Amino acid sequence: MTKELQKTLKSYGQDRDSLIPILQSVQEKFGYVSEQAVTGIASYLNISESTIYGVATFYTQFRFTRPGDHIIRVCQGTACHVRGAQRIMNEVVKHLGIKPGETTPDYKFSLERVACFGSCALSPVVVADNRVYGRMTAQKTKQVLKEME
Amino acid sequence: MKFEAIQQKATDLWEAFNRLDKARVLIGGATCGRAAGAMQVWHRIAEELEKRRVEADIVEVGCLGMCYSEPNVEIGLPDGRRILYQNVTEETVPELVDRFILKGDPCLEYALCSFGDVPVEGLIRFNDLQMIKPQVRVVLRNAGIIDPTNVYHYIARGGYAGLYKALRMKRLEVCETIKSSGLRGRGGAGFPTGLKWGFALASKSDLKYMICNADEGDPGAFMDRDVLESDPHAVLEGLTIGAYAIGARQAIVYVRAEYPLAIDRIRNAIDQMKGLGFSGPHVMGSDFDLEIKIKMGAGAFVCGEETALMASIEGKRGMPRPRPPFPAQAGLHGKPTNINNVETLANVSEIMNRGPEWFAAYGTEKSKGTKTFALAGKINRTGLIEVPMGITIDDIIFNIGGGIPDNKKFKAIQTGGPSGGCIPAEMSDLKVDYEELAKVGSIMGSGGMIVMDEDSCMVDVAKYFVGFTHSESCGKCVPCRMGSQHLLKMLTEITEGKGDMSYVRRLEKLSRTVQSGSLCGLGQTLPNPVMSALRYFSDEFEAHLRQKRCDALVCKGLVSSPCQYTCPINQDVPCYMGYIAQGRFDDAIRVIRIENPFPGICGRVCPHPCESKCEAGKYGDPIAIRALKRFAADYEMKQGIKPHRAEVRYDAKVAVIGSGPAGLSAAYYLTLEGYPCTVFEALPLPGGMLAVGIPEYRLPRDVLDYEIDYIRKTGVEIKTNHALGRDFTIEDLFRQGYKAVFLATGSHKALELGIEGADHPAVLPGVRFLFDVNLHKEINLGERVAVIGGGNVAIDSARSAVRLGAKDVFILYRRSREEMPALSEELEQLEEEGIKIRFLTAPKRVVSSGDGITGLECIAMELGEPDASGRRRPVPIQGSEFMIECDNVIAAIGQTSDLNFAQDEALNVTRRGTIAVDEETDLCEKEGVFAGGDAVTGPLNVVTAIFHGKLSAKGIHQYLSGHEVSRHYRPVRPAEVVAPVELTDEEIERLARPSLPRKPGQQRIRSFVEVEECLSEEQAVLEAKRCLRCDLETQFEMQ
Repeated sequence: MTKELQKTLKSYGQDRDSLIPILQSVQEKFGYVSEQAVTGIASYLNISESTIYGVATFYTQFRFTRPGDHIIRVCQGTACHVRGAQRIMNEVVKHLGIKPGETTPDYKFSLERVACFGSCALSPVVVADNRVYGRMTAQKTKQVLKEME
Repeated sequence: MKFEAIQQKATDLWEAFNRLDKARVLIGGATCGRAAGAMQVWHRIAEELEKRRVEADIVEVGCLGMCYSEPNVEIGLPDGRRILYQNVTEETVPELVDRFILKGDPCLEYALCSFGDVPVEGLIRFNDLQMIKPQVRVVLRNAGIIDPTNVYHYIARGGYAGLYKALRMKRLEVCETIKSSGLRGRGGAGFPTGLKWGFALASKSDLKYMICNADEGDPGAFMDRDVLESDPHAVLEGLTIGAYAIGARQAIVYVRAEYPLAIDRIRNAIDQMKGLGFSGPHVMGSDFDLEIKIKMGAGAFVCGEETALMASIEGKRGMPRPRPPFPAQAGLHGKPTNINNVETLANVSEIMNRGPEWFAAYGTEKSKGTKTFALAGKINRTGLIEVPMGITIDDIIFNIGGGIPDNKKFKAIQTGGPSGGCIPAEMSDLKVDYEELAKVGSIMGSGGMIVMDEDSCMVDVAKYFVGFTHSESCGKCVPCRMGSQHLLKMLTEITEGKGDMSYVRRLEKLSRTVQSGSLCGLGQTLPNPVMSALRYFSDEFEAHLRQKRCDALVCKGLVSSPCQYTCPINQDVPCYMGYIAQGRFDDAIRVIRIENPFPGICGRVCPHPCESKCEAGKYGDPIAIRALKRFAADYEMKQGIKPHRAEVRYDAKVAVIGSGPAGLSAAYYLTLEGYPCTVFEALPLPGGMLAVGIPEYRLPRDVLDYEIDYIRKTGVEIKTNHALGRDFTIEDLFRQGYKAVFLATGSHKALELGIEGADHPAVLPGVRFLFDVNLHKEINLGERVAVIGGGNVAIDSARSAVRLGAKDVFILYRRSREEMPALSEELEQLEEEGIKIRFLTAPKRVVSSGDGITGLECIAMELGEPDASGRRRPVPIQGSEFMIECDNVIAAIGQTSDLNFAQDEALNVTRRGTIAVDEETDLCEKEGVFAGGDAVTGPLNVVTAIFHGKLSAKGIHQYLSGHEVSRHYRPVRPAEVVAPVELTDEEIERLARPSLPRKPGQQRIRSFVEVEECLSEEQAVLEAKRCLRCDLETQFEMQ
């Protein structure tokens, strides 16, 4: 177990309630939940690795592979859908050459779809690196991606 | 510090904040404001102020709920004026700083409204805005007004006074107070809050939990986010009051991970509470202790369900469990727990402050108080509103929301998110509350309200919601896990053109099963969108299943490209676009001719409905489809491509009556199929309206001759000077051995003007006038010619009159420009030729003297109520008569069919004076007879006539083969896959719709020479490359 991971774990109580907050912290610090992290958490909380995977894989927030430097999320919520979100997703898929849930081979971009960002009044919404872009079009989205390359 | 002292400090700070000793800038910095660019605007403002060395306060506030106009910036000056500017960008910032902050010029062109007590001339007050006036802001009382990170702002406006009062009451009293207010859970279920608290209070335990459900997972709902970001204390105070009321020492705010700003605000607010003694040990000096923690969701919609939420807090998979036991008895860690929604708690704090009677004064009998609604979708003023329960949908959509953008037709709303149902526009007078919504098959839910217009497909919406809930299903119980999967599968198939009408019953049955068998609210409500769509929009399901149609143009499986779908004859537009782009013009015209026997004609005169739905036209100019078709047709004509004679395969002869586009199309396709075909034409020349109704400057004679000749060469026989009724009857035809007849006699009998003096011989019917023009008969026109009407015949009459030498030609149309059916390109050409149009003018009386006409007495019109066609009826303005001098009057107000033969032929005639046929097959009641074209539809256009010709040809083939005559529907798909042409970036820069070349106006009116010219090859290829090739997005099976 790395020193970083140990430090992260120590700030939480050794009870089951801490599992999800720990996973969230690990994801924030390291970008994803690695096998080593799961092993470390299992020993810290004294629960089995399979239980941890059982919980972690239930929630869409957690990634188990290294994400891209830039994380692109295209909202597929109702209001966005009604205003053409699918077109934007198609354009991003075409431009990056990956499907939602995947990462480009050079680890530059990861693509995710989210059900709703809660900015429905500004649909269609795209979130790139946690920056929320409202009133997007397929063209504008491609522009944003190009600037990040 | 004692609470009174804190309140005093707060009041002082709030007053100082609003005193405006110097300029003050408030920026809406909630997530929606940021998405619109508020932070960039903030930085620009700070920069500009520093540049000019102006001292001003810049404060970030929350969201006013007017998301459609974000970024919203309020600027207040020491003179007391406070102006809210809308859609502020980095570019407009310097101007606002220079003109308003430095010079006091209010910049009204950027302003939305004024705030505060000091009025600003020419500007409406915030509270008087159409969007704001009907609202009653309780939950949103501070949103957009206070600094959400400053607890004293909250306190100054009544914050924590509720908690102060509550702590002086018995716990049971607090529960009773909330109960008497009538507050119902705002998360969606609407359970009486006070009652629920009472259950938790009654449970005996050493440890109890109070939880705030801030998981807001409904797509389309963002009110909880808004409140947490704009006024977190309103929620936390409510949470604290609730914890006290039920006897809990532990409170948790469970907020979804996708709301990082909200999490930040809550964290900050909890720290402030601790600092002031509003949480922690001895809250406000009482013996009530409370610890408030934050727990973050991890991206699971189902965790908004209370038992799943608690499982998630316990570090488990978020899977619901059966109830009982209810959380009030055994919840988190088995202890009594009470869970409330964000909005519920934001109400609690104010109810305790102002009293339950104040709250209960709003709303309806069973739904007290107010409700927030997240207005999104096809609505002009998207945003967050709060209104008293009982307001109508109409009020919300049209008053507050400002109606549907682009004047589109309002179709339905969806309330309650994926657990809710759709409510059609016809029921928009519904008063919104829990009971009323449930009655019509929807639910209140969290308050998401998605507005849909004519471009929304209700089948697609149902599929979308089921897709969502299916992916969020925890998987524990079969009805939800498997049921949603199969509902989704069926709905997907429907949108792909698969399935049949049995799907409707299967969807209904499965929906009921999922509803009654699922373990938790997610499963129990997931069929709601399907059931309500089936209930109110069953016609859309039928159109998708039986006719393979999606008229909203949404389902890609049915509408692979909107142009091909919209074309009445389903021309393979993307196919021939692709060929032209590749320079393969032979293939292009080959593809066009599969569905269209008149490419050169349509390429010149078609009103191109395809272009009106072109996808490229959504964000720029539509592709010049008609011009490209003409290009391909002209290419063919130049090459002199000739068809082969078709092989005769059958003995059965078919007779076609009428050689217009409908008749000739039918004959052409029947001949290709192998039937010997003869066309009987009453006039001395073939073509119908093509020959005698469309002047040569629009359709040159050589083009018409070429296309009719092309049809003749396949084997079609045309006999001119043979009129039905005068020369033969249908019985004669059958006796001569014809086995089937297609009637396509058109609609060319002019409607009478019906005004005084209209029977004067110098009043020419437009159709008759054009007939004479096309047959080069001698026509004498005076200097001034008045043409009455607004359709093609009127316009063509006017343009022909000018070419015959009339100096002053004008059109009188009784409606306005918007109602006129003419295309703007036609009106442009009219103007270039010096022809004027007087709108809203109708003739009252023809004034004549002897043989000639001297003038028209006219009357001005205004638009009244809509008539049956939906267009507003023109109504004469009394006393507005005036005279117009003219020498000729051409009456072109419409045509009807000359059906003199109908009675003798025992043919049924509709009320509109057209031949009655089966709508789907064009089959008449009379044995062996079909009819189509203008004779059936009334005067329309060439392409629709072609459609009827083809439809009847198919029907006649079925009939003659001994099969039942029926329509077989198939999804519209391109026949061939044509590879797209990759564009270089440089080409992309240059891409623009070419302006269609035409000869100069004054020059061209000296003769009937063709006005429009063909695109050059270079232009055509580039324009074809501009096509977005929508057909390639669909996966289709090759035919």
